[in-house]
Amino acid sequence: MSPFVHEIRDPIHAFIRLDSDERRVLDSRPLQRLRHIHQLATTWLVYPGATHRRFEHSLGVMELAGRVYDVVTDPRNVSDDMQRVLEPLSVPANREYWRRAVRMAALCHDIGHLPFSHAAERELLPDDWDHENLTRHLVSSAEMQAIWASLQPPLIHTHVEKLAVGPKRAPDLEFSDWEEILSEIVVGDAFGVDRMDYSLRDSHHAGVAYGKFDHHRLVDSLRILPAMHDSRGDRSFKPELGIEEGGIQSAEALAFARYFMYSQVYFHRVRRIYDIHLMDFLKAWLPGGRFPVDVEKHLALTDSDIVEALWRAAFDRNEPLYELARRVVRRGHFQLVYERSPEDTKRTPNPGDRVYRELAKEYDRRFLRRDYYRQPRSAVGFSVRKREGGIVSSLVLSDALNNVPLVTVDRIFADRSIAKSARNWVERHRTAMVEPAENEEDNDE
Amino acid sequence: MNSVRKAALLTRLIDKLREKGSWTGETHIQKAAYFAKILAGVDMDHEYVLYKFGPFSFDLGADLTALRADGLATLEVVDPYGPRVATTRRAARIQGRFPKTLEKYDAGLEFAAANVGDQGVAALERVGTALFLLQKREGAEDIEIARRITELKPRIPVGKALDGVAAARALEAAARKAFPS
Repeated sequence: MSPFVHEIRDPIHAFIRLDSDERRVLDSRPLQRLRHIHQLATTWLVYPGATHRRFEHSLGVMELAGRVYDVVTDPRNVSDDMQRVLEPLSVPANREYWRRAVRMAALCHDIGHLPFSHAAERELLPDDWDHENLTRHLVSSAEMQAIWASLQPPLIHTHVEKLAVGPKRAPDLEFSDWEEILSEIVVGDAFGVDRMDYSLRDSHHAGVAYGKFDHHRLVDSLRILPAMHDSRGDRSFKPELGIEEGGIQSAEALAFARYFMYSQVYFHRVRRIYDIHLMDFLKAWLPGGRFPVDVEKHLALTDSDIVEALWRAAFDRNEPLYELARRVVRRGHFQLVYERSPEDTKRTPNPGDRVYRELAKEYDRRFLRRDYYRQPRSAVGFSVRKREGGIVSSLVLSDALNNVPLVTVDRIFADRSIAKSARNWVERHRTAMVEPAENEEDNDE
Repeated sequence: MNSVRKAALLTRLIDKLREKGSWTGETHIQKAAYFAKILAGVDMDHEYVLYKFGPFSFDLGADLTALRADGLATLEVVDPYGPRVATTRRAARIQGRFPKTLEKYDAGLEFAAANVGDQGVAALERVGTALFLLQKREGAEDIEIARRITELKPRIPVGKALDGVAAARALEAAARKAFPS
């Protein structure tokens, strides 16, 4: 390990410390490019302070990943049964190797991000591509492989890939129990440090308190524990990230912080429609309507290029993309005309589908936009070691975790010229539109 | 597949699992849906990777969360274990809107539910992982598959892994008999 320590000031973690090998990765092109990628896409159009970049988030994730790794692998925190099933814990050289791997993976986990981060990623990349896929390509690029190979001991790039994106985004790779745990540290649903850092950091920069929680306590409470799942048959000793009972309130706070950040910041209705308008602009502006996936072209493109193109088009009526750019730059965004309600959902599981279909018969589809999102996982169930010993599910101990709301967004927006009329039309026909169909069998999408 | 149609199939699978005495935690449902897809051709558009306790679909995890968000499923928490998933009356109404679909896939769902039965997570992990690896490594010897299971999951000794491989082979044979096409 490199003996030199560099310190970087950070608004969330005070100091982030890295050694010279990590500094080399930080100084590489893929990492330096993140200085020019906004963390929260167009959120700064609603929360003006939210202009922070992926660069500082990546540093924060690395810092937290190192802290979590040190806590969960500390021999005082590892029970005998987990020591038996996780061989790398008992070999000091292996522990050091994997510490390096998890920190490097954390540092690199976002290098595949497109300009303006998540905004319209799915629509603007070729099929089967996402930013994690690009991250993997960059981690295994010649430029990065040269760095991994020069380390002592050399770092295997597939280890960095696995830990940086997790099993969901690396279906072609088989993860061991140990690799699964380490990827959970970086990108896990429950205690992934990616989520911890972005919740704290985005909250700080947006100027809201929703995303804050006692992360110091939470990190100190994390443990590798056997999973608890049922009372049948022999017991599984599958290891997973859990917590000591003393950390349960911090875990509750994290779950609610995430819920509030999603409902108040990430899925703020105006922020979302700006993302949609940005996607419309990019579809027209990018060659072929898609971002490049070639490594060199990816590295060459940042938010700055797009901001410049938007700005130029938004003030010149002769520009072909004038109208699309104007919506973003000159605040001409579409307005909300429908939002799903609990009452609608009682009648049919996807009311927005029907409302959008009917609205599009009544109004020109070019003046309508749909925004649909469902929280993929709730991530509130995990193992907890009780003070008196024994493992229990978090949901047994915590009423709060049982009641964290699930985020679902289903909205329709319309151009200002028709918004009032469309809103009135929806109100008049709402009940009829969300009534269950008599025969759904033949009505597939 | 239409998401409402999928909800009808998924809630019917959960109902069948409960009938067969399954715990119906997420892991049990994940394995049952995997068996239904791989062995009985009930494809609900879920891609599987080796993750928590063997074959695991993040898409299916999202669909289970959606069932709760839409009031089609609830969680029953049992001390000290994790939650069990139960369907609601609203789910029964949704199922009632897809009689032909449910009839078409009934045998496949029944097969998957029966083969999960009242097994625990540990046993399901062994057979599920073995089945997943057998699908990926055509022609591999049982011992190769068992060794790979132990390599990935050192807490499963080779002997237990071999039991899992044998159970997976038996499942494949039963599926070939039940669904010859």
